Amino acid sequence: MEWTPEELQAIVDEHALVLFMKGEPNAAQCGFSNRAAQVMQALGEPFASVNILSDPRAIPSVCAWSDFPTMPQVYVHGELIGGSDIALDMLNDGSLREMFDAGRQA
Amino acid sequence: MVTTEWLEDEVRSVLPNCTVEAIDLHGTQDHFHIRIIESSFEGMRPLQRQKLLLNHFKPYIPHPIHAIDLKCMTPEQAQTAGDTVFDPHGGGTGIHIKRIQKHQNKE
Repeated sequence: MEWTPEELQAIVDEHALVLFMKGEPNAAQCGFSNRAAQVMQALGEPFASVNILSDPRAIPSVCAWSDFPTMPQVYVHGELIGGSDIALDMLNDGSLREMFDAGRQA
Repeated sequence: MVTTEWLEDEVRSVLPNCTVEAIDLHGTQDHFHIRIIESSFEGMRPLQRQKLLLNHFKPYIPHPIHAIDLKCMTPEQAQTAGDTVFDPHGGGTGIHIKRIQKHQNKE
């Protein structure tokens, strides 16, 4: 993994739900990442997680590629929806489910 | 050092008519929650709202601002928003805050 834009794009193209986070879903290294992982688990769909603490190049590479300065980052069908706060709001108001289902049918 | 006053002034430089309140979550001047009430957020997706502000603060992330949690609300959403702020180091608990004033600043 070299964290190139092509590699990062391939990850979000391949998986319907992707979470770039600090740590692993069951061992998050940051409260925001933990909250985002809990949102993914609450949605109940399989998701891919990428531990951006695994390589010092990861955070600057991902943030430059996505043009979003903070972690975690949540992608639904290849589209960045935001961090843990937006993900939680979208879980609660049903729009995360809607966006996931809409992309799956397409 | 980042102060809540500086953050609020910077937010107003992006959104002159907004109502803004910045909260220093731990008194350490690096973890902040900012709530913003702005009528032009109407019709914008959550990410678009945050990016307006995150693009402005990008040079300060992750140093000296380590964490910035943005609550971007329309006046309508602010009416029903709760007073509990997520604390990333709070072990899943929130911090209770003083509620942001509900009316728009017209300075």
